[in-house]
Amino acid sequence: MTPSVPAVLAELGQLCVRYADPTAPAAERAADLGLTAALLGIAAEVWDGAAANLVDENRALRRLLGLQGEDADLRLSALKAENDRLRALTIEAHTAAEAAQDAARQAEIWSELRLSTERRRLSSALV
Amino acid sequence: MPGEPLEPRLAAYLALRLPQASGLGVEGLERIAGGASRETYRFRARWSEDGNPRERRLILRRDPPASLIDTERRIEFAAYRAFHGSGVPVPEMLWLEEDPAHLDYPFFVAEEIAGFQASPQVLFSGAYEVAIPKLARRNWEILGEIARADPVELGLTEVMDAPAPDQCWRRELGHWEAILDRDEPEPLPITRAAIRWLRANPPPPAQKVAVVHGDYRTGNYLYDEAGEIHAVLDWEMAHLGDPLEDLAWAFNPVWSFGQGERVSGLCDKAEAVATWEKASGLRADPAALHWWTLFNCVKGQAIWVGSAAAFLSGANKAPIMVYPAWWLMNAQDRATLKVMGKL
Repeated sequence: MTPSVPAVLAELGQLCVRYADPTAPAAERAADLGLTAALLGIAAEVWDGAAANLVDENRALRRLLGLQGEDADLRLSALKAENDRLRALTIEAHTAAEAAQDAARQAEIWSELRLSTERRRLSSALV
Repeated sequence: MPGEPLEPRLAAYLALRLPQASGLGVEGLERIAGGASRETYRFRARWSEDGNPRERRLILRRDPPASLIDTERRIEFAAYRAFHGSGVPVPEMLWLEEDPAHLDYPFFVAEEIAGFQASPQVLFSGAYEVAIPKLARRNWEILGEIARADPVELGLTEVMDAPAPDQCWRRELGHWEAILDRDEPEPLPITRAAIRWLRANPPPPAQKVAVVHGDYRTGNYLYDEAGEIHAVLDWEMAHLGDPLEDLAWAFNPVWSFGQGERVSGLCDKAEAVATWEKASGLRADPAALHWWTLFNCVKGQAIWVGSAAAFLSGANKAPIMVYPAWWLMNAQDRATLKVMGKL
């Protein structure tokens, strides 16, 4: 997810500290803390599967793109950077398949893109 | 965010605007949850006038440090004013202030229309099920009224650029694609595929250049348990353009709020189109409507991406900037797939 979970959690931590001050202005407190609770819930939901989903997707994208390799660095930031690189290449491959009017190749790419949204889907997803 | 209290500064500003008032105070200032493009607060102003106590419930809408969309609050203010007293219910606008000296950022003050709901979650909780058929009719009727309105008569051509009918789609797509190019924090293969399709399959020229609310959807109006709509809110993306853009924004599947095929969570698409066509006097060509619905998936993604960009740049680290990115980016991708027939 973007922004990354650690960056958001760090910010939410600071926000909680600020609101723990009884002299902090109250006008935004309820709205900010309500959203903080919602974001913590999302972070909790994605935490366990985050690395596995990125490894799975990176494998699927390499397979789709005909690339070799495996994720050696399992930190989420490294997996996400590799995922970004592979998704950028997917856009290029998709554009090329459209230009070539290669329906089968386009279908392969759409299939993977559909799966990518399943991996990222939240329990509270609107679609 | 915590900082210098707003109440005394807001009271000082209102005292400038109400020179006949004495002892003016601001009470009950509370940020209304949601809304990442403006900070919206409700409050009560109390004062004495000619020896008599006065009270008014008001809304403060202030620019945030950085927004998920960059919009001109003067245009938003003008749009509200243009429709006030018309068949399109809107709150009364009172004062527009663009000098940041008063409250750090530009803002405007409006009347509060109190006692009604805006929340989609409340609407779809089951408690309002009986009201939904009427609410659906009123929703599309009012949107049709916006489309039917004459921007020249409303005075809005003085503050909004009017594109040529055959340029409406190009201007809007170019605008939101440029925002994606600028703000995209990660590659978006589904959105980019949608943009390629939109450019390869342009819609026909607009039937008329109309007022486009820009964010007309469930969640941006005040409703009651009888199914009446009392105010259309959040005009910050108002502009002139193809009226199908507005209808199609409400058809973006993310605004169905999990209510299946009911557009905006309210009714089936055919009913919505028929009601809108009758109220607007316009026709919703199915192919053009499809183009604008997919366009609005791109627009939505550009907005959610913008919230992530504001957080990542450090310009605005409020939780409201994270929530759209986390909650809606993937949902918008799935909506795009659905509209393209790929889901």
